[in-house]
Amino acid sequence: MNLLRIENLSLGYGGEPVLADLDLALGAGEFASLVGPSGSGKTSVLRAIVGLQQRQSGLIDLRTGPEEIGFLFQDDALLPWRTARENAALGLVIRGTPKAEALAQADAWLERLGLKGLGGRYPRQLSGGQRKRVAIAQVLVLRPRLLLMDEPFAALDAIVRTRITQDLLSLVERERISVLLVTHDLEEALSVSDVVHVLSNGPRARILASRRVPIPRPRDLLAARGHPAFAPLLRQLWRDLAGETEGAPARLEEAA
Amino acid sequence: MRAFLDRLWIRRLIALSLLIALWELAGRAGLLDPLYFSTPSEVALVGAGLFLDGSIWPHLQATFTAALLGLGAGLAIGVALGFAAALVRPLADLLEPVMMLLNAIPRVILAPLFVIWLGIDLGSKVALATVLVAVLVFFAVYGGVKEVDQRLVERVRTLGGGRAVLVREVYIPSVTAWVMGNLKVAVGFAFTGAVVGEFVASARGLGYLLQFAQSTYNASLSLALVVMIMAFVLVLFMLSEALERRLLRWRHR
Repeated sequence: MNLLRIENLSLGYGGEPVLADLDLALGAGEFASLVGPSGSGKTSVLRAIVGLQQRQSGLIDLRTGPEEIGFLFQDDALLPWRTARENAALGLVIRGTPKAEALAQADAWLERLGLKGLGGRYPRQLSGGQRKRVAIAQVLVLRPRLLLMDEPFAALDAIVRTRITQDLLSLVERERISVLLVTHDLEEALSVSDVVHVLSNGPRARILASRRVPIPRPRDLLAARGHPAFAPLLRQLWRDLAGETEGAPARLEEAA
Repeated sequence: MRAFLDRLWIRRLIALSLLIALWELAGRAGLLDPLYFSTPSEVALVGAGLFLDGSIWPHLQATFTAALLGLGAGLAIGVALGFAAALVRPLADLLEPVMMLLNAIPRVILAPLFVIWLGIDLGSKVALATVLVAVLVFFAVYGGVKEVDQRLVERVRTLGGGRAVLVREVYIPSVTAWVMGNLKVAVGFAFTGAVVGEFVASARGLGYLLQFAQSTYNASLSLALVVMIMAFVLVLFMLSEALERRLLRWRHR
């Protein structure tokens, strides 16, 4: 059963839509990625799902309540005046959980994400990777059924990024959380997703192709990149995007 | 010795001491007319005398009462109006031009009007201090709310927060940071309002004493009062800084 169904969605800021007539479905426990050039409206799709952006037309059918949707932003967006544990507990407190209980749950998640003993620190006192883990704890502590991620790890260095992505991937696989990830990184999209949707250039961006990724779960990020299906699929994605992005590597095209 | 002089506050203290010593020497050598410039020792004697005979206390009480009441009222009014204007557009349309006008003029020119309306007692001094502080705080809060980090607003909204949660979790802490950044200036403005109000018309207060010193050509008393006001404002500055450090501890690593 689909947890999220989008039909004929058009988004824009008045005038010609950035993205037009988008159809997309996300099953329960499915991990999907949206890739495409800058300006193709990828982020706008996520924002429209949670109501941060008005749609011009179309349908967004959610088989889950808004309280079961988690949104991981590109920026940490932690409250600078709240400690890590207070930030992690914020959503629970907003939803009426008693503060002591919310903080206890937040502590448990921070520990699970490798931040034991750092709950009393303010965001300014944490590294970029630690802040990102707090942001993840803030979302996962709410036990979402649907997780929307907008290039959440783009600003991190490669090592931290790989570790956090692996941790998050293992968590969403274990908890059977549905994920819609927006990313520029084709390799990242392939290594974590069940399906990768490729968007064309905007305005009036559309889905050029949807590629299934036949790599079994649970996945190890590095092992996934060594899977026989990985390289051909990566070439396929580059072919899908040929002409849509500047500087698509010629050698990959030739090899394909 | 070099390490000793590397400290900024020591260099400042030495510079100030040298200036005072030069001033004292020039006065004693007869280079300064005592009618205009009494020596630092004479100023210190006059100042100490005011405390020793107890005559300063009613004046200090009057000025501090007016300044602190004005500071409190100005903060409350500035915060309330700033918040209201930032959140309710029609109110901003009404308030912004008035506040811009009040901000553009030297607000101490309102002192005579307040004396006419409220008399020469405490009320007119509090009113002037209040207006000086309220306009400053209004713009700090109004700007603070309007420039709140939208990423934080969206973060709280996606976690399920409504308007009340946004005000509590995002707007109030953001604005507190803006207000605390302006608190030292507000303290100075509150004292300016109180002293200028007393200077214009009053029967008590440091401003009244300054007016008295001026009308009697008493340079020693004038200078003693100026130093005294500077010292008190400096102490309040330090208290404001301590409060700012405590309330905004999340800003420090």
